[in-house]
Amino acid sequence: MVDRHFLNIVMLVEIALLVLAVAVFFAHGLWLFLNHRRVMRLTETARQSLARLVTRGTINLEDIELLRQLRHDVQVTVFLETSRNLTGSGKERLRFVAHEVLLIERARKLCESRLWTRRLRGERLLSRMDVADPIVVKLLSDENAAVRAQAAEWAAAQPSPPIIATMLTMLADPATQARFAVQDALLRMGSIVTEPLAAFLETHTGLPAESGLRVAGAIGGSRFLLAANRLSANENVGVRVAATNVLAAIGDVSSADRLATLLKDPDSGVRAAAARGLGRMQHWQSGSQLAECLRDSSWQVRREAGLALRAIGAPGALFLRRAIKGDDRFASDMAQQVLDLPEAAATAAG
Amino acid sequence: MSEFLATAINQVLIKGQFVVLVYFLAVNGWYLVLLVSSLIEMRRHMLLIADESRHLLLSSTLSPRISILAPAFNEEATIEVSLRALLALQYPSLEVIVINDGSKDRTVEVLKERFDLVPVKTIYQQRVKTKQVRDLYRSASYPSLVVVDKENGGKADALNVGLSFAQGELVCAMDADTLIEPDGLQRMVRPFLYATDVVATGGTIRVVNGSEVKLGRVVRARVPVNALAGMQVVEYLRAFLFGRLGWNRLGGNIIISGAFGLFRRESVLSSGGYLHDTVGEDMELVLRLRRLSYEREGPGRIAFVPDPVAWTEVPESMRVLGRQRDRWHRGLADCLWRHRGMLFNPRYGVTGVFVFPYYVFVELLAPVIEAVGLISLALGLAFHVVDWSFAGLFYLTAYGLGTALTAFTLILEDVSFHRYDSFRDRALLFWWAMLENLGYRQVTVYWRLRGLWKFLRGRKDWGAMERKGFQKPVGIAETN
Repeated sequence: MVDRHFLNIVMLVEIALLVLAVAVFFAHGLWLFLNHRRVMRLTETARQSLARLVTRGTINLEDIELLRQLRHDVQVTVFLETSRNLTGSGKERLRFVAHEVLLIERARKLCESRLWTRRLRGERLLSRMDVADPIVVKLLSDENAAVRAQAAEWAAAQPSPPIIATMLTMLADPATQARFAVQDALLRMGSIVTEPLAAFLETHTGLPAESGLRVAGAIGGSRFLLAANRLSANENVGVRVAATNVLAAIGDVSSADRLATLLKDPDSGVRAAAARGLGRMQHWQSGSQLAECLRDSSWQVRREAGLALRAIGAPGALFLRRAIKGDDRFASDMAQQVLDLPEAAATAAG
Repeated sequence: MSEFLATAINQVLIKGQFVVLVYFLAVNGWYLVLLVSSLIEMRRHMLLIADESRHLLLSSTLSPRISILAPAFNEEATIEVSLRALLALQYPSLEVIVINDGSKDRTVEVLKERFDLVPVKTIYQQRVKTKQVRDLYRSASYPSLVVVDKENGGKADALNVGLSFAQGELVCAMDADTLIEPDGLQRMVRPFLYATDVVATGGTIRVVNGSEVKLGRVVRARVPVNALAGMQVVEYLRAFLFGRLGWNRLGGNIIISGAFGLFRRESVLSSGGYLHDTVGEDMELVLRLRRLSYEREGPGRIAFVPDPVAWTEVPESMRVLGRQRDRWHRGLADCLWRHRGMLFNPRYGVTGVFVFPYYVFVELLAPVIEAVGLISLALGLAFHVVDWSFAGLFYLTAYGLGTALTAFTLILEDVSFHRYDSFRDRALLFWWAMLENLGYRQVTVYWRLRGLWKFLRGRKDWGAMERKGFQKPVGIAETN
């Protein structure tokens, strides 16, 4: 028999745990309730003060003092929600007020913290207020990937040449999170990155090139032609696929010639991307090469080639009809399926 | 002879009780480890997402395209509301594929009428064998909506069809009646953006019963008054907030809810897609992905993210709930049996040595041990081996730690997301957590044993699920 004394001890421990849990659960609930009411009241007052300061353009010291005395979390909430709705001079005034109530100062201190979670919070605050502070530039090379990624997000709104240069070197960041944030930031910076990115791609290979090509593909433009041509012959499959996509996005005659060559690439992903690109460009001169791709061993390549032929128009349709009567049943089947597609579906699929 | 028999029974009961009690304490002790792990993980996660501006980074045009696969079988009552909510999800590159799995009701007609569907043709590659596709539709009003009408073949078959038609790099497998929160996908896609070895992510499933729902969105989360639904709220919180979150840190999950999971499409297809001949197709797929990642030395990380939330309607009748639990347990048994080679096999790393045995000895066999404990306690009382006070003490000791841990889960929910904000909800939640062990848990033991028994007999039927629909707040009548 299990010792009753043992059961009693276990039971007592369990009761103690349960009582503790219940007490914490309800006490936390009560705290949440009271805190919520207090925060709501404070937030409402703070919102009004901040709105006055931002919209009137004159400084009311009472409002500044009120905002300065606020709890940090309420300050953050109010400034961030206001920041979302402001641009230009409005945001400039908001930054001034944030500076006056020492919010920026506190964010800077957080950025210098030894704890990555605090650095992250600090730079998020600076980032969402679009504060151009050199302290965040330092965080682009932080040891924590989340902090680097957040710094990159901040950099999207600060497109100066030195920052772009740093961002480009970060395309080789070992952390996927940081790399993704850098790519997104470069894309958000807009056409200003075209020239430095193209120059970067002309001299780099491997992971940074692959990451950069994704951005280049989204931006487009013939400035990337040289780099895309060079990288489309790279030994890395990922780089070749990305370069092919850039060539397709360029949509230039010279890129079309290269794309036609890439239809013979050993990798099916590259061949499919090349066929897709030629279709998008409606490059009828590549009709015969695309028709050849209908016999490809990869279904994806056959599909893209078929859709590309359909996109080309009458010459493509001729190749497709020929393929139906041909001896290759895979080519014939794909050609038939492509020709059976209604116009809208063909366009959507292509 | 009878004296000898009585002594033998006495001995068996005494030893049996001891084994059962040790088992309970060991399991709950492990739960305690999971709880601590989930607390650490939750704190880290909350710090990571504090003041995060999802509308910037997570809605990037560079984000991977997501295809939502929503299999629908007799979902006439809920399909319109659910689908409108899906189409309104905040994600930059989204495709919604509804797969009508040979519904016998008006599901397809409702879809055609409400979403301007027009028949289309497309070219697709059938990499996984499925039942015949009858028709394919696109919406004239919603360019991202595709509806596939196919012969009935079960959820796994429907998902496989969806995989064939999907254009997205990622696919979100869900139930057609699941309500995903507007930014759910943005939150769920994080692990894919942050690491290249992630093949699947799962979010939190919450119980919608009793909550206020408007236009397919949960506008206010409430704890249901219905006892069965209320206790399931507690179960879901426990399963997701400390179960799956805890495993995130301790070696990885092997379960992603079939109601809301995000997968790398190529990984699913190259692993062979969903299996047709199992009732636990979601768990089987995840387990297979894990297994293949070790065997092929490829990516295979499964991540649970606590903040994306999907709401689901849970059964409010014993009959339907019993069928569901029975099926879940059969599914679990089936998956573990199929992949039994992983058990204690160091080749499969933490999953083989740690996670898999946990699922076998704790999740699968728990009802057996629990039933043995309860029966021996009853026999002990019948044969006067134990008195009532001892039996009561034994019972409370066995279930007490679990109750305390459940209460701590409620705290975890409260300090992290605190979706249930009123005192009434808080009190109800606590009430259901306390009552859970007084009858409900024992009934679930019976259902799970039944599932195990059916598995041993080779039964693979699903059983029907009855839906009320979300048009009106579910369970609001009871609330008022």
